[in-house]
Amino acid sequence: MDLDTDVLVIGGGMAGLAAGIRSQERGANTTLIRKGQSATSYSSGAIDVSGYLPGGSQQLLSAREGIEAITSLYPLHPYSILGFGSADNDDVPGLAIERVGQAVEWLTKHLKSTPAQLYGGIDSNLEGITLVGTKKPTALLQQTIWPGEFAVDDEGVMLFLGIKGVSDLNPKIASKTFLDNQARTGEPPHKVGNASLDIAPFGHGYNLSTTNIARWLDREENLVTFIEQVKKKAEQFGATYVALPPILGLEENLKNQKALQEATGASVFELLAFPPSVPSFRLQRGLERVFIEKGGHLLIGHEAEPCGIESSKITEVLARSPRRKVEITTRSVVLASGKYIGGGLAATVEGLRETVFGLMTVTDEFRESGKTRPQRLTNVVSLSPESHSLFGCGLSVDQFLRPVNPDGDATAENLFAAGSILAGYSYAMEKCGLGVALATGHYAGETAAANATGGGV
Amino acid sequence: MTEEEDYDHIMGVLREERITPYNEDELETVLSIGHCINCGLCLQHCPVVAGVGVERFSGPRSIAVELSRSPPEFWATGDKVFLCTGCGTCREVCPKNVEVPEIVNMIRARIFEHRPDLVPQELHSVDKTLLEHGLAFAPWEDLEDKAESRDMRLERLNLPFYPNRVKERAEVLFYPGCQAEERAQEVREAGKVVLEAFDVDYTLLGDFNCCGLPAILLGDDKTARELAKHLKEKVGALGTKKIVTTCAGCTSNLSYLSERDGWDIPVYHTLEYLIEEIGIESLTEKLTQSEDTQSVTVHSPCHLIRHMSRQLAEYAAQIIEAMPNAEYTESNLHDSCCGGGGMVGYHSPDVAQGVVEENLRAIERTGVSRVVAPCPLCTAHIEEMLFRTGSSVEVDDLTVFIAQRLPKKE
Ligand SMILES: Cc1cc2nc3c(=O)[nH]c(=O)nc-3n(C[C@H](O)[C@H](O)[C@H](O)COP(=O)(O)OP(=O)(O)OC[C@H]3O[C@@H](n4cnc5c(N)ncnc54)[C@H](O)[C@@H]3O)c2cc1C
Ligand code: SF4
Ligand code: SF4
Repeated sequence: MDLDTDVLVIGGGMAGLAAGIRSQERGANTTLIRKGQSATSYSSGAIDVSGYLPGGSQQLLSAREGIEAITSLYPLHPYSILGFGSADNDDVPGLAIERVGQAVEWLTKHLKSTPAQLYGGIDSNLEGITLVGTKKPTALLQQTIWPGEFAVDDEGVMLFLGIKGVSDLNPKIASKTFLDNQARTGEPPHKVGNASLDIAPFGHGYNLSTTNIARWLDREENLVTFIEQVKKKAEQFGATYVALPPILGLEENLKNQKALQEATGASVFELLAFPPSVPSFRLQRGLERVFIEKGGHLLIGHEAEPCGIESSKITEVLARSPRRKVEITTRSVVLASGKYIGGGLAATVEGLRETVFGLMTVTDEFRESGKTRPQRLTNVVSLSPESHSLFGCGLSVDQFLRPVNPDGDATAENLFAAGSILAGYSYAMEKCGLGVALATGHYAGETAAANATGGGV
Repeated sequence: MTEEEDYDHIMGVLREERITPYNEDELETVLSIGHCINCGLCLQHCPVVAGVGVERFSGPRSIAVELSRSPPEFWATGDKVFLCTGCGTCREVCPKNVEVPEIVNMIRARIFEHRPDLVPQELHSVDKTLLEHGLAFAPWEDLEDKAESRDMRLERLNLPFYPNRVKERAEVLFYPGCQAEERAQEVREAGKVVLEAFDVDYTLLGDFNCCGLPAILLGDDKTARELAKHLKEKVGALGTKKIVTTCAGCTSNLSYLSERDGWDIPVYHTLEYLIEEIGIESLTEKLTQSEDTQSVTVHSPCHLIRHMSRQLAEYAAQIIEAMPNAEYTESNLHDSCCGGGGMVGYHSPDVAQGVVEENLRAIERTGVSRVVAPCPLCTAHIEEMLFRTGSSVEVDDLTVFIAQRLPKKE
């Protein structure tokens, strides 16, 4: 099988799909291959852009504030690289904020009216509530996860509503944690309740998943009974907020949320979830649909075979599916193959390796890490505010996001990298995972398309 | 003890423990299971879990991290592993390339070997047919009846009949598969119509036999390997250069066998043959106008898109778009499966039904008048299910749909 394309994107997470959609929009025929789903499908429903400064201690009020600080302090952070621009640009933070802001607005526009519709932006971090009742700062939340502003209204009542058989939410524990937190900060709502619903999609109220319930709620005939039950509980507690596990639908969550709000008069929303989650399912699928609608060619179940880079340009990549091989000729390549889970980076006793092209990898301090044993890059404490250096390893890139060789030159003139495969940041500590993937993917897509259609970056 | 005695002793102990050592060609699958990170992504997508819930079918993650881990206890997993349709969706979303559909076959094989009483009865009947006739379905008793049934189908579909050709050293071996050979005979004839239309030098098998996929799926590894061996010999004797088939399952299994057993012959589905060997331009030239405009969607068989390549769904779309008055509508179903795979329908029709429902809803949503599937088995399954729900959507095998639009030879 053969295939010819202007831009080939390797990897189908946030970075790859953002690159693919953008490149297609910029007039380049784009093919995206992905072997599996990955980190993007594990996310919680929050799109983090910048939640904490590196080091983890300082919680940020807005992503804008975060990017400004990061680009001033950490010149090799992916956000700083986005701010480089041309040689005469002397406002790195300004350009970085502009590019990240544009990418965020662009994504919000594309996901509008899809099940993954977003709320938020880079000017103010939101607080999403999690399944365990804690809060998490983030730039954007999926619309059905946004609880609305907690008005300064002492009469508000928050009801954590679990579902029998769905173990993700223990409403009792979540409400207690939430209440403790409210008491400490003095913020409303001060009244919290908990209850459980008994719905049995397969005829039993045990061993159910949020995905099961979400699928069940996608069917109109089930919504009526569900609304009745929620309404009853909401009235019983006088709830003004109803927090559910993420179950409002894989497809119909927006419509279902609206129906529930109308019926109860309360703000009904979903809690941020554990991986892999219903919201990340909606995000992954939403992005894929946008890519296809834009005319992109999505080839899932195909893995780029390892190959060396022989000349200054990559013109051919071999993709393997279980029983077929596809030879792809291309003019630009975007490598968005993720980190350790995605498979873009492999950490073995021999050292850190980039899996497709064998590109140079570096540590979080930008030292070559091809022969560094990964054990040396972890902390003794698994959950430490310093995170693990291992998270900061990856590819070092130039201002066009082209991976560089030990001399600092682009390894191939038409190869761009985006997303978690980049070095220099830790999503786990900074809470910036999907934000970096989005912003670098968006920019890489633009540059790869320009390179393929106009010849040169 | 000599080395041989040692070996025999160990094999004896393994047999007592109901352990069958892995074959060389199974090792890659076994190792892939070890890469599972227990993340549960696959569970969100498995169409059987979606259809009947995780209580009834514990799903791919459970197969990867629990059910496949203890060979002596494989027998205890039968009520779960026989419910997998082998659709491959889990493997497609898995970040670690865990080969769940393949490990399922390996576990089934070991249950079949050591505790055949725990293999669903219905599968034993299929196995009996395979052993007796080398076919997945009992052959027609009266060949005249068979011909009559074929002619009725051809007449209804307005397809010509071309005499069967069997010859050595033809370019292509046309292998219709059991379903088209014995039941959906119109698909077998449609395959011939396609090849005739482009003057392909082809042959049929003088003595048709099953590729062994049903035997693999029900766990009879020995019969599967035997059928594969016969087929290899027959193909070798004919000396053809390529194999073309109309069945999704056959394409994927023959591709696998050709590589595993060194047949050294490429295997094509009709779709692949048309696009890659004939070329879309030559096909477009020949495609004729049908009477009325048809709005069409495609059901993509698991064996084509997930066991081979999603590119095949693209091929199907390209071909329909090339037809003068067929309108192609893409179904937005992602994790599709007709429920007919993995032999599940034979023993647990309720599960197959639960799985296909998602599909039927997606087909109805497209608003098309016709769904075509590049596989006679999927076609039959979907047709039956749509009929049961009283749907007015019609179903055709894609090869038939193409053949109807190709010129007839004098
Ligand atoms: C458990 C977990 C929870 C998280 N939660 C959040 C959250 O709530 N909010 C947030 O903002 N961030 C979160 N993050 C971080 C964020 O999800 C990631 O940083 C981000 O998704 C990375 O996107 P990516 O596109 O770079 O990589 P990925 O999403 O990992 O995608 C990599 C892709 O490349 C493909 N691939 C790899 N190698 C090949 C190959 N050879 N050929 C073809 N394809 C290949 C993979 O199959 C995959 O499709 C979380 C991360 C994890 C692990
Ligand atoms: S092959 Fe299909 S049915 Fe079987 S476990 Fe995987 S997803 Fe489920
Ligand atoms: S089989 Fe793959 S997707 Fe499923 S739990 Fe294991 S690693 Fe995750």
